[in-house]
Amino acid sequence: MSVPRTRLLDLMKVQCRIFSHTFNPEGLRLGNKVLRQRLKGPVLAAYYPRKISTLKDLRKAYSGPDGFEIPNDDHDDWEENHKIIKARGKGAPKKKRTAEESKKFKGKKR
Amino acid sequence: MSMFRAKKLDLGCFVNARVIRDHTKRKVFAEHEAERQALRYIIRNMELPARTRAQAQLELSQMHCYTRSTQISNRCTEGGKGRGVLRDFKMTRFNFRLNALKGLIPGVKKGIW
Repeated sequence: MSVPRTRLLDLMKVQCRIFSHTFNPEGLRLGNKVLRQRLKGPVLAAYYPRKISTLKDLRKAYSGPDGFEIPNDDHDDWEENHKIIKARGKGAPKKKRTAEESKKFKGKKR
Repeated sequence: MSMFRAKKLDLGCFVNARVIRDHTKRKVFAEHEAERQALRYIIRNMELPARTRAQAQLELSQMHCYTRSTQISNRCTEGGKGRGVLRDFKMTRFNFRLNALKGLIPGVKKGIW
């Protein structure tokens, strides 16, 4: 027992309507495969990690003479250490302001 | 190209000129993808008049090269290198090794048998 082609086509039409496919019994090239593809742009654009705001940025934006006080442990540690070094006389030398001062120890030592 | 580049850097990983360029290309591609797909659909649709399809072909070929997906290449997020990048970890093989040995990559363990 064979089923007539028209009946099969009708069935296909209904199937396409239900599953929202394109009804294309002749197999024409309608370019629907392009429309079926998913957009991959958002995934590709998210490849590199974006900048996130750090505590440093927060401090830069809000702390100031009349802003909030945001504690900075690293800087406090540095300051304490710096004080100790200075007290031991191991700090950096004073900046030379004039040409004469900077010339004082220059030149060949005989 | 400079006209596509973001005015302010929005990257949180290793940054060099090539990473910025690739990032820019990615963003431009994402922006123009729908337009490109529409043109591709017109070109592939045999039902449409030949003239329309030829016009679409021209238009697609004359779009800026930054809007093409083939311009994008995966680069290392740790060192910006373009070769030997493991896709799953977005890192070159050496950076992957360093991070894996340090235990910074979840679920990765050195094989011993």
